[in-house]
Amino acid sequence: MDVIEHPPILRLPGIPDHVTYTWLVMIVLAGLAFAASRNVALVPRGLQNFFEVVLEQFQQLIDDVIGPEGRPFLPLIATLGLFILTGNLLSLVPGMSGPTTNLNTTAACALVVFFSYHYIGVRKQGALTYLKHFMGPVPLPLKPLMFVIEIISHLARPLSLTLRLFGNMVGGHILLAIIFFLMGLQGLIGWALSGSPVGAVVGGIGGAVMIVFTVGFLYPLKILVSFLQAFIFVMLTMLYISGAIEEAEHHGGEHAPAHH
Amino acid sequence: MRRSLMLAGLAVLAVPAAALAQAPAAAAESHGGWVGPFAVLVAGFAMAFAAGLCALGQGRAVASAVDAMARQPGAAARIQTAMIIGLALIESLAIYVLVVAMILLFVQPIK
Repeated sequence: MDVIEHPPILRLPGIPDHVTYTWLVMIVLAGLAFAASRNVALVPRGLQNFFEVVLEQFQQLIDDVIGPEGRPFLPLIATLGLFILTGNLLSLVPGMSGPTTNLNTTAACALVVFFSYHYIGVRKQGALTYLKHFMGPVPLPLKPLMFVIEIISHLARPLSLTLRLFGNMVGGHILLAIIFFLMGLQGLIGWALSGSPVGAVVGGIGGAVMIVFTVGFLYPLKILVSFLQAFIFVMLTMLYISGAIEEAEHHGGEHAPAHH
Repeated sequence: MRRSLMLAGLAVLAVPAAALAQAPAAAAESHGGWVGPFAVLVAGFAMAFAAGLCALGQGRAVASAVDAMARQPGAAARIQTAMIIGLALIESLAIYVLVVAMILLFVQPIK
């Protein structure tokens, strides 16, 4: 991607950029969490208040999607959400590189989700019962076929989680990079500064339009996409976890009201 | 109509081949052969098709979601959540094509 994008300003020698900026996100989040919980008051103020609101939103979401039995997974889900959101927003700061624009970071997040929801399912219902639910409610001759299909669909989940986050972030980045490339010193603004009268008029107007378009439309869109992708990642994680722990209740007599 | 479309497609496919046939062999070899131009074309066309069809699918999904929200404003929050998840799942298919296009453009596994 170095072909069209400028490498980030801060680079540690010998360490890939996404690792450096993952560390930066970790430092930011850990510092904020430390500052918020340094002297916890009964009536929260400032940073503590803000973080309580954020985490209560996460808890509300978990209660809506998984139900009260999903509360123990709040640390996993909220950490994933905050990390992905901070990484997405960091990639919008000029001169920085977002960790989520690298396939390795998103694959790591998705694999964590994949292994943890299987672990949660196995812990909740035992390995044999959990595996039995892969066969679905079909007659016996169809069960092996169903099993294979379910395995494939479960293996596709981390792939789609990975590629969705990565593709959305990098797609927006390529768009911004191409717009800046069209606009920059070798493009419209360079034409405006080149001294020819036609270039001054066309390049000046075109450059101004491009700047307004970028600042007024593309950047808000990217911020919206950053929040939306973090939300979708967290939401799908919660759906997978609820699928892994809910299947126990399907055989427990009465069916829960369908909320898939 | 269909025949002219096919002819146009064949013409588009023939352009890089013809351009390469005229180029000197040494230049073609230093640029890595004939796969490169085709890869660029395929990346662009694939993304165009994927974006268009994905927009059709997402349009249907959003239309029925908005319809349902207008009929039942009380359930708007749940419908919106379901709609966003559905949109993400539809969009991921276009994102796969984007990733394939980026692999063709930047990684270039087949030279």
